Amino acid sequence: MTQDTNTEQDLGLDDDLMAYVDGTLPPEKMAEVEARLARDPDARAATASWRHHDNLIRQMAQTADDLPANMRIAALERELTAKLKARKRRAFLMGPALGRIAASVLIFTAGWGGNALYNSAASIGGSAYPQFVSATVTGHYALQYASMQEAEFQPEEMETALDWISERMQRKIDSPKLGRLGYEVESARLVSAEGGPLAIFHFRDQQGERVTVSIAPHAPDKADYPLRVVRMDTDSIAYWTDAGLDYSIIGDVDVGQITTLAAAVRE
Amino acid sequence: MSLKAEVTLHTASLRRYALVLTRDPTAADDLVQETLMKAIDKADTWQPGTNLRPWLFRIMHNTHISDLRRAKTRSDAAPDLPEPVVPDHQHVQLELKQVLQALDQLPEAQRLPIILIALREMSYAEAARTLDVPLGTFMSRLGRGREALRKIVSGVTAGKLTVLNRKGNI
Repeated sequence: MTQDTNTEQDLGLDDDLMAYVDGTLPPEKMAEVEARLARDPDARAATASWRHHDNLIRQMAQTADDLPANMRIAALERELTAKLKARKRRAFLMGPALGRIAASVLIFTAGWGGNALYNSAASIGGSAYPQFVSATVTGHYALQYASMQEAEFQPEEMETALDWISERMQRKIDSPKLGRLGYEVESARLVSAEGGPLAIFHFRDQQGERVTVSIAPHAPDKADYPLRVVRMDTDSIAYWTDAGLDYSIIGDVDVGQITTLAAAVRE
Repeated sequence: MSLKAEVTLHTASLRRYALVLTRDPTAADDLVQETLMKAIDKADTWQPGTNLRPWLFRIMHNTHISDLRRAKTRSDAAPDLPEPVVPDHQHVQLELKQVLQALDQLPEAQRLPIILIALREMSYAEAARTLDVPLGTFMSRLGRGREALRKIVSGVTAGKLTVLNRKGNI
Protein backbone atom coordinates (compact mmCIF):
# COMPACT_ATOMS: atom_id res chain seq x y z
CA MET A 1 0.00 0.00 0.00
CA THR A 2 1.39 3.38 -0.97
CA GLN A 3 1.90 5.89 1.79
CA ASP A 4 -0.02 9.15 1.70
CA THR A 5 2.61 11.11 3.60
CA ASN A 6 5.05 12.56 1.10
CA THR A 7 8.43 14.15 1.48
CA GLU A 8 9.70 16.65 -1.10
CA GLN A 9 11.39 14.00 -3.20
CA ASP A 10 9.42 10.77 -2.90
CA LEU A 11 6.52 11.82 -5.11
CA GLY A 12 8.95 11.95 -8.01
CA LEU A 13 10.19 8.48 -7.19
CA ASP A 14 6.72 6.96 -7.13
CA ASP A 15 6.51 4.75 -10.22
CA ASP A 16 2.72 4.47 -10.02
CA LEU A 17 2.22 8.24 -10.10
CA MET A 18 4.70 8.52 -12.95
CA ALA A 19 2.94 5.79 -14.92
CA TYR A 20 -0.44 7.42 -14.22
CA VAL A 21 0.75 10.71 -15.73
CA ASP A 22 2.35 9.01 -18.72
CA GLY A 23 -0.64 6.81 -19.47
CA THR A 24 1.22 3.56 -18.80
CA LEU A 25 -0.42 2.58 -15.52
CA PRO A 26 -1.84 -0.97 -15.70
CA PRO A 27 -5.66 -0.94 -15.59
CA GLU A 28 -5.71 -3.06 -12.45
CA LYS A 29 -3.84 -0.30 -10.57
CA MET A 30 -5.91 2.60 -11.87
CA ALA A 31 -8.59 2.50 -9.14
CA GLU A 32 -5.97 2.35 -6.39
CA VAL A 33 -4.04 5.34 -7.74
CA GLU A 34 -7.20 7.38 -8.35
CA ALA A 35 -8.34 6.71 -4.78
CA ARG A 36 -4.98 7.85 -3.50
CA LEU A 37 -5.10 11.03 -5.60
CA ALA A 38 -8.57 11.74 -4.24
CA ARG A 39 -7.32 11.78 -0.66
CA ASP A 40 -3.76 13.07 -1.16
CA PRO A 41 -3.62 16.74 -2.24
CA ASP A 42 0.20 16.69 -2.59
CA ALA A 43 0.13 13.78 -5.00
CA ARG A 44 -2.77 15.37 -6.85
CA ALA A 45 -0.93 18.66 -7.25
CA ALA A 46 2.28 16.95 -8.32
CA THR A 47 0.67 14.80 -11.00
CA ALA A 48 -1.35 17.73 -12.31
CA SER A 49 1.81 19.84 -12.60
CA TRP A 50 3.86 17.11 -14.27
CA ARG A 51 1.13 16.55 -16.82
CA HIS A 52 0.69 20.28 -17.43
CA HIS A 53 4.42 20.84 -17.92
CA ASP A 54 4.60 17.87 -20.28
CA ASN A 55 1.73 19.32 -22.31
CA LEU A 56 3.42 22.71 -22.58
CA ILE A 57 6.73 21.16 -23.67
CA ARG A 58 4.96 18.93 -26.18
CA GLN A 59 2.99 21.85 -27.62
CA MET A 60 6.21 23.73 -28.15
CA ALA A 61 7.84 20.69 -29.76
CA GLN A 62 4.91 20.32 -32.14
CA THR A 63 5.50 23.80 -33.53
CA ALA A 64 8.42 22.14 -35.35
CA ASP A 65 5.79 20.57 -37.63
CA ASP A 66 4.90 24.07 -38.86
CA LEU A 67 8.48 25.03 -39.72
CA PRO A 68 9.23 25.40 -43.42
CA ALA A 69 10.38 22.28 -45.24
CA ASN A 70 14.14 21.92 -45.19
CA MET A 71 15.54 20.63 -48.48
CA ARG A 72 18.89 19.70 -46.96
CA ILE A 73 17.16 17.58 -44.32
CA ALA A 74 15.00 15.94 -47.00
CA ALA A 75 18.11 15.06 -49.02
CA LEU A 76 19.87 13.65 -45.95
CA GLU A 77 16.73 11.67 -45.13
CA ARG A 78 16.84 10.04 -48.57
CA GLU A 79 20.54 9.32 -48.24
CA LEU A 80 20.03 7.77 -44.81
CA THR A 81 17.17 5.60 -46.11
CA ALA A 82 19.39 4.31 -48.92
CA LYS A 83 22.22 3.59 -46.46
CA LEU A 84 19.91 1.75 -44.08
CA LYS A 85 18.45 -0.31 -46.91
CA ALA A 86 21.94 -1.28 -48.00
CA ARG A 87 22.73 -2.13 -44.39
CA LYS A 88 19.63 -4.29 -44.25
CA ARG A 89 20.56 -6.13 -47.43
CA ARG A 90 24.11 -6.76 -46.22
CA ALA A 91 22.87 -7.97 -42.85
CA PHE A 92 20.49 -10.30 -44.63
CA LEU A 93 23.09 -11.79 -46.93
CA MET A 94 26.04 -11.92 -44.56
CA GLY A 95 24.62 -12.08 -41.09
CA PRO A 96 22.46 -14.42 -39.03
CA ALA A 97 19.34 -13.22 -40.86
CA LEU A 98 20.28 -15.48 -43.75
CA GLY A 99 19.34 -18.43 -41.60
CA ARG A 100 15.75 -17.22 -41.58
CA ILE A 101 15.38 -17.31 -45.30
CA ALA A 102 14.97 -20.34 -47.44
CA ALA A 103 17.34 -19.88 -50.33
CA SER A 104 16.52 -22.90 -52.36
CA VAL A 105 18.84 -21.76 -55.12
CA LEU A 106 22.46 -20.79 -55.29
CA ILE A 107 22.81 -17.03 -55.22
CA PHE A 108 25.66 -14.85 -56.26
CA THR A 109 25.97 -11.67 -54.22
CA ALA A 110 27.34 -9.47 -56.93
CA GLY A 111 28.55 -6.18 -55.58
CA TRP A 112 29.10 -7.52 -52.09
CA GLY A 113 32.22 -9.53 -52.59
CA GLY A 114 30.92 -12.19 -54.90
CA ASN A 115 30.31 -14.68 -52.12
CA ALA A 116 28.28 -17.73 -53.03
CA LEU A 117 25.72 -18.47 -50.35
CA TYR A 118 23.54 -21.50 -50.06
CA ASN A 119 20.82 -22.44 -47.66
CA SER A 120 18.50 -25.33 -48.22
CA ALA A 121 16.17 -24.57 -45.32
CA ALA A 122 12.66 -23.49 -46.20
CA SER A 123 11.64 -21.12 -43.47
CA ILE A 124 11.13 -17.44 -42.81
CA GLY A 125 11.13 -16.42 -39.18
CA GLY A 126 11.08 -20.04 -38.14
CA SER A 127 7.88 -20.95 -40.03
CA ALA A 128 7.66 -23.23 -43.02
CA TYR A 129 7.00 -21.51 -46.34
CA PRO A 130 6.69 -22.83 -49.88
CA GLN A 131 9.99 -22.97 -51.72
CA PHE A 132 8.87 -20.55 -54.42
CA VAL A 133 8.32 -17.89 -51.71
CA SER A 134 11.79 -18.46 -50.29
CA ALA A 135 13.32 -18.26 -53.75
CA THR A 136 11.46 -15.00 -54.42
CA VAL A 137 12.74 -13.47 -51.18
CA THR A 138 16.25 -14.48 -52.13
CA GLY A 139 15.75 -13.08 -55.63
CA HIS A 140 14.49 -9.79 -54.19
CA TYR A 141 17.61 -9.29 -52.07
CA ALA A 142 20.27 -10.85 -54.26
CA LEU A 143 21.32 -8.88 -57.30
CA GLN A 144 21.89 -11.87 -59.49
CA TYR A 145 21.45 -15.61 -59.54
CA ALA A 146 24.50 -17.48 -60.75
CA SER A 147 24.39 -21.03 -62.01
CA MET A 148 20.62 -21.40 -61.53
CA GLN A 149 19.77 -18.45 -63.77
CA GLU A 150 18.65 -19.41 -67.26
CA ALA A 151 18.05 -15.96 -68.70
CA GLU A 152 17.70 -12.29 -67.81
CA PHE A 153 15.71 -9.69 -69.75
CA GLN A 154 15.65 -5.91 -69.82
CA PRO A 155 12.37 -3.91 -69.96
CA GLU A 156 12.49 -3.57 -73.76
CA GLU A 157 12.80 -7.36 -74.06
CA MET A 158 9.65 -8.16 -72.10
CA GLU A 159 7.80 -9.66 -75.06
CA THR A 160 10.68 -12.05 -75.68
CA ALA A 161 10.88 -12.73 -71.96
CA LEU A 162 7.21 -13.71 -71.75
CA ASP A 163 7.54 -15.99 -74.80
CA TRP A 164 10.59 -17.65 -73.29
CA ILE A 165 9.00 -18.03 -69.85
CA SER A 166 5.72 -19.31 -71.32
CA GLU A 167 7.54 -21.92 -73.34
CA ARG A 168 9.62 -23.02 -70.35
CA MET A 169 6.51 -23.30 -68.16
CA GLN A 170 4.42 -24.79 -70.98
CA ARG A 171 1.58 -22.33 -70.46
CA LYS A 172 0.82 -18.71 -71.28
CA ILE A 173 2.43 -16.35 -68.77
CA ASP A 174 1.43 -12.66 -68.69
CA SER A 175 3.51 -9.88 -67.18
CA PRO A 176 2.19 -8.71 -63.80
CA LYS A 177 0.30 -5.46 -64.35
CA LEU A 178 1.56 -3.00 -61.77
CA GLY A 179 1.76 0.01 -64.10
CA ARG A 180 -1.43 1.63 -62.83
CA LEU A 181 0.03 1.55 -59.30
CA GLY A 182 3.07 3.51 -60.50
CA TYR A 183 5.52 0.62 -60.86
CA GLU A 184 7.57 -0.01 -63.99
CA VAL A 185 9.22 -3.31 -64.80
CA GLU A 186 12.98 -3.13 -64.36
CA SER A 187 14.03 -6.63 -65.38
CA ALA A 188 12.84 -10.21 -65.57
CA ARG A 189 14.70 -13.43 -64.85
CA LEU A 190 14.07 -17.09 -65.42
CA VAL A 191 15.58 -19.26 -62.73
CA SER A 192 15.80 -23.00 -62.19
CA ALA A 193 14.71 -23.31 -58.61
CA GLU A 194 14.53 -26.55 -56.68
CA GLY A 195 10.81 -26.87 -57.38
CA GLY A 196 11.13 -26.12 -61.12
CA PRO A 197 11.28 -22.98 -63.28
CA LEU A 198 10.63 -19.67 -61.55
CA ALA A 199 9.97 -16.37 -63.34
CA ILE A 200 11.03 -13.31 -61.36
CA PHE A 201 9.92 -9.79 -62.30
CA HIS A 202 11.53 -6.76 -60.65
CA PHE A 203 9.56 -3.49 -60.52
CA ARG A 204 10.43 -0.02 -59.25
CA ASP A 205 8.24 3.01 -58.58
CA GLN A 206 9.12 6.68 -59.11
CA GLN A 207 10.53 6.96 -55.61
CA GLY A 208 12.89 4.08 -56.34
CA GLU A 209 11.07 1.55 -54.15
CA ARG A 210 11.46 -2.02 -55.45
CA VAL A 211 8.97 -4.85 -55.43
CA THR A 212 9.60 -8.34 -56.79
CA VAL A 213 6.97 -10.68 -58.22
CA SER A 214 7.52 -14.37 -58.98
CA ILE A 215 5.47 -16.91 -60.93
CA ALA A 216 6.03 -20.66 -60.90
CA PRO A 217 4.00 -23.70 -61.98
CA HIS A 218 2.12 -25.15 -59.03
CA ALA A 219 3.18 -28.71 -58.08
CA PRO A 220 0.18 -30.93 -58.95
CA ASP A 221 0.64 -33.10 -55.86
CA LYS A 222 0.23 -30.14 -53.51
CA ALA A 223 -2.88 -28.28 -52.39
CA ASP A 224 -3.37 -24.74 -53.66
CA TYR A 225 -2.08 -21.97 -51.40
CA PRO A 226 -4.76 -19.49 -50.37
CA LEU A 227 -3.66 -15.83 -50.34
CA ARG A 228 -1.42 -15.24 -47.35
CA VAL A 229 0.32 -12.01 -46.28
CA VAL A 230 3.27 -12.02 -43.87
CA ARG A 231 5.68 -9.41 -42.50
CA MET A 232 9.45 -9.78 -42.41
CA ASP A 233 11.13 -6.81 -40.72
CA THR A 234 9.97 -3.83 -42.78
CA ASP A 235 9.12 -5.97 -45.83
CA SER A 236 5.76 -7.54 -46.61
CA ILE A 237 5.25 -10.74 -48.58
CA ALA A 238 2.08 -12.08 -50.21
CA TYR A 239 1.73 -15.46 -51.90
CA TRP A 240 -1.05 -17.61 -53.33
CA THR A 241 -1.96 -20.16 -56.00
CA ASP A 242 -4.21 -19.29 -58.93
CA ALA A 243 -5.08 -21.37 -62.00
CA GLY A 244 -2.17 -23.77 -61.61
CA LEU A 245 0.44 -21.09 -60.93
CA ASP A 246 2.08 -20.06 -57.67
CA TYR A 247 2.56 -16.32 -57.21
CA SER A 248 4.52 -14.35 -54.64
CA ILE A 249 5.31 -10.67 -54.21
CA ILE A 250 7.68 -8.93 -51.79
CA GLY A 251 8.53 -5.28 -51.13
CA ASP A 252 9.40 -2.74 -48.44
CA VAL A 253 5.75 -1.72 -48.11
CA ASP A 254 3.04 -2.17 -45.50
CA VAL A 255 0.50 -4.96 -45.43
CA GLY A 256 -2.21 -2.84 -47.07
CA GLN A 257 0.04 -1.92 -49.99
CA ILE A 258 1.28 -5.48 -50.56
CA THR A 259 -2.35 -6.64 -50.63
CA THR A 260 -3.16 -3.96 -53.21
CA LEU A 261 -0.16 -5.04 -55.28
CA ALA A 262 -1.20 -8.70 -54.98
CA ALA A 263 -4.69 -7.79 -56.19
CA ALA A 264 -3.19 -6.02 -59.21
CA VAL A 265 -1.07 -9.09 -60.02
CA ARG A 266 -4.16 -11.32 -59.71
CA GLU A 267 -5.94 -9.22 -62.29
CA MET B 1 5.52 0.84 -42.72
CA SER B 2 8.31 1.13 -45.28
CA LEU B 3 11.82 2.05 -44.17
CA LYS B 4 11.51 5.31 -46.08
CA ALA B 5 8.28 6.22 -44.27
CA GLU B 6 9.87 5.24 -40.97
CA VAL B 7 12.89 7.50 -41.53
CA THR B 8 10.58 10.40 -42.49
CA LEU B 9 8.49 9.87 -39.36
CA HIS B 10 11.52 9.75 -37.09
CA THR B 11 13.08 12.81 -38.72
CA ALA B 12 9.94 14.79 -37.86
CA SER B 13 10.30 13.56 -34.26
CA LEU B 14 13.96 14.54 -34.21
CA ARG B 15 13.00 18.03 -35.40
CA ARG B 16 10.54 18.38 -32.49
CA TYR B 17 13.10 17.18 -29.96
CA ALA B 18 15.76 19.45 -31.45
CA LEU B 19 13.47 22.48 -31.24
CA VAL B 20 12.92 21.97 -27.51
CA LEU B 21 16.63 21.38 -26.97
CA THR B 22 17.79 24.44 -28.89
CA ARG B 23 14.72 26.78 -28.71
CA ASP B 24 15.67 28.09 -32.13
CA PRO B 25 14.36 26.79 -35.48
CA THR B 26 17.62 27.36 -37.33
CA ALA B 27 19.70 25.73 -34.60
CA ALA B 28 17.18 22.88 -34.45
CA ASP B 29 17.50 22.19 -38.17
CA ASP B 30 21.29 22.37 -37.88
CA LEU B 31 21.15 19.78 -35.10
CA VAL B 32 18.86 17.53 -37.16
CA GLN B 33 21.19 17.80 -40.16
CA GLU B 34 24.22 17.01 -38.05
CA THR B 35 22.37 14.04 -36.55
CA LEU B 36 21.37 12.67 -39.96
CA MET B 37 24.90 13.08 -41.31
CA LYS B 38 26.26 11.13 -38.35
CA ALA B 39 23.54 8.50 -38.79
CA ILE B 40 24.58 8.09 -42.44
CA ASP B 41 28.19 7.59 -41.34
CA LYS B 42 27.13 5.14 -38.64
CA ALA B 43 24.51 3.27 -40.69
CA ASP B 44 26.45 0.03 -40.26
CA THR B 45 25.95 0.19 -36.49
CA TRP B 46 22.15 -0.05 -36.83
CA GLN B 47 20.87 -3.59 -36.29
CA PRO B 48 18.10 -4.34 -38.81
CA GLY B 49 15.00 -5.51 -37.04
CA THR B 50 15.61 -3.22 -34.06
CA ASN B 51 13.77 0.03 -33.45
CA LEU B 52 15.28 2.86 -35.44
CA ARG B 53 13.90 5.65 -33.24
CA PRO B 54 16.09 5.17 -30.10
CA TRP B 55 19.13 4.69 -32.35
CA LEU B 56 18.51 8.04 -34.07
CA PHE B 57 17.63 9.87 -30.85
CA ARG B 58 20.76 8.53 -29.23
CA ILE B 59 22.84 9.98 -32.04
CA MET B 60 21.05 13.32 -31.61
CA HIS B 61 21.53 13.20 -27.85
CA ASN B 62 25.28 12.59 -28.19
CA THR B 63 25.55 15.28 -30.84
CA HIS B 64 23.71 17.77 -28.65
CA ILE B 65 25.88 16.98 -25.62
CA SER B 66 29.02 17.40 -27.74
CA ASP B 67 27.72 20.73 -29.02
CA LEU B 68 26.98 21.85 -25.47
CA ARG B 69 30.42 20.93 -24.32
CA ARG B 70 31.95 22.78 -27.24
CA ALA B 71 29.85 25.86 -26.69
CA LYS B 72 30.10 25.64 -22.90
CA THR B 73 26.71 27.20 -22.67
CA ARG B 74 23.13 26.75 -23.79
CA SER B 75 21.32 29.41 -25.70
CA ASP B 76 18.79 31.35 -23.70
CA ALA B 77 15.22 30.26 -24.10
CA ALA B 78 12.88 33.17 -24.30
CA PRO B 79 14.30 35.51 -26.95
CA ASP B 80 14.59 32.75 -29.53
CA LEU B 81 11.26 31.02 -29.16
CA PRO B 82 9.89 30.20 -32.59
CA GLU B 83 6.68 31.97 -33.52
CA PRO B 84 3.99 30.90 -33.07
CA VAL B 85 5.11 28.61 -30.28
CA VAL B 86 1.77 27.60 -28.82
CA PRO B 87 -1.84 28.64 -29.21
CA ASP B 88 -2.03 32.38 -29.02
CA HIS B 89 -2.95 32.83 -25.37
CA GLN B 90 -0.80 35.20 -23.43
CA HIS B 91 -0.94 33.22 -20.20
CA VAL B 92 0.06 30.04 -21.99
CA GLN B 93 3.04 31.84 -23.51
CA LEU B 94 4.00 33.08 -20.07
CA GLU B 95 3.64 29.64 -18.53
CA LEU B 96 5.69 28.09 -21.28
CA LYS B 97 8.41 30.68 -20.79
CA GLN B 98 8.50 29.91 -17.06
CA VAL B 99 8.66 26.17 -17.68
CA LEU B 100 11.46 26.52 -20.24
CA GLN B 101 13.43 28.80 -17.96
CA ALA B 102 12.93 26.32 -15.12
CA LEU B 103 14.03 23.48 -17.42
CA ASP B 104 17.22 25.39 -18.12
CA GLN B 105 18.01 25.38 -14.41
CA LEU B 106 17.95 21.59 -14.29
CA PRO B 107 21.00 19.46 -15.01
CA GLU B 108 21.01 17.82 -18.44
CA ALA B 109 20.67 14.45 -16.71
CA GLN B 110 17.19 15.47 -15.52
CA ARG B 111 16.24 17.87 -18.32
CA LEU B 112 16.57 15.36 -21.17
CA PRO B 113 14.40 12.61 -19.64
CA ILE B 114 11.64 15.17 -19.04
CA ILE B 115 11.75 16.35 -22.66
CA LEU B 116 11.93 12.84 -24.15
CA ILE B 117 8.92 11.65 -22.18
CA ALA B 118 6.96 14.87 -22.74
CA LEU B 119 7.19 14.28 -26.51
CA ARG B 120 5.15 11.07 -25.97
CA GLU B 121 7.00 9.28 -28.73
CA MET B 122 8.99 6.73 -26.72
CA SER B 123 8.55 4.27 -23.90
CA TYR B 124 10.57 4.65 -20.71
CA ALA B 125 12.83 1.79 -21.85
CA GLU B 126 13.45 3.35 -25.27
CA ALA B 127 14.18 6.73 -23.72
CA ALA B 128 16.61 5.11 -21.25
CA ARG B 129 18.36 3.39 -24.18
CA THR B 130 18.51 6.73 -26.00
CA LEU B 131 20.29 8.33 -23.05
CA ASP B 132 22.37 5.20 -22.47
CA VAL B 133 21.41 4.80 -18.82
CA PRO B 134 19.77 1.89 -16.96
CA LEU B 135 15.99 2.07 -16.73
CA GLY B 136 16.07 2.56 -12.95
CA THR B 137 18.46 5.48 -13.28
CA PHE B 138 16.31 6.98 -16.00
CA MET B 139 13.14 6.73 -13.89
CA SER B 140 14.87 8.27 -10.92
CA ARG B 141 16.18 11.17 -13.00
CA LEU B 142 12.79 11.70 -14.62
CA GLY B 143 10.96 11.73 -11.28
CA ARG B 144 13.45 13.94 -9.51
CA GLY B 145 13.57 16.24 -12.51
CA ARG B 146 9.80 16.58 -12.67
CA GLU B 147 9.59 17.39 -8.99
CA ALA B 148 12.43 19.89 -9.26
CA LEU B 149 10.78 21.53 -12.25
CA ARG B 150 7.48 21.77 -10.42
CA LYS B 151 9.05 23.38 -7.40
CA ILE B 152 11.05 25.88 -9.43
CA VAL B 153 7.98 26.88 -11.42
CA SER B 154 5.90 27.20 -8.29
CA GLY B 155 8.49 29.49 -6.78
CA VAL B 156 10.35 27.36 -4.31
CA THR B 157 13.74 28.96 -3.69
CA ALA B 158 16.54 27.38 -5.61
CA GLY B 159 18.70 27.02 -2.53
CA LYS B 160 16.41 24.35 -1.10
CA LEU B 161 16.78 22.06 -4.05
CA THR B 162 19.76 19.84 -4.11
CA VAL B 163 18.89 18.80 -7.67
CA LEU B 164 19.91 22.20 -8.90
CA ASN B 165 23.52 21.39 -8.28
CA ARG B 166 24.52 20.97 -11.92
CA LYS B 167 28.13 20.00 -11.34
CA GLY B 168 29.06 16.79 -13.08
CA ASN B 169 25.53 15.78 -13.90
CA ILE B 170 25.71 15.73 -17.67
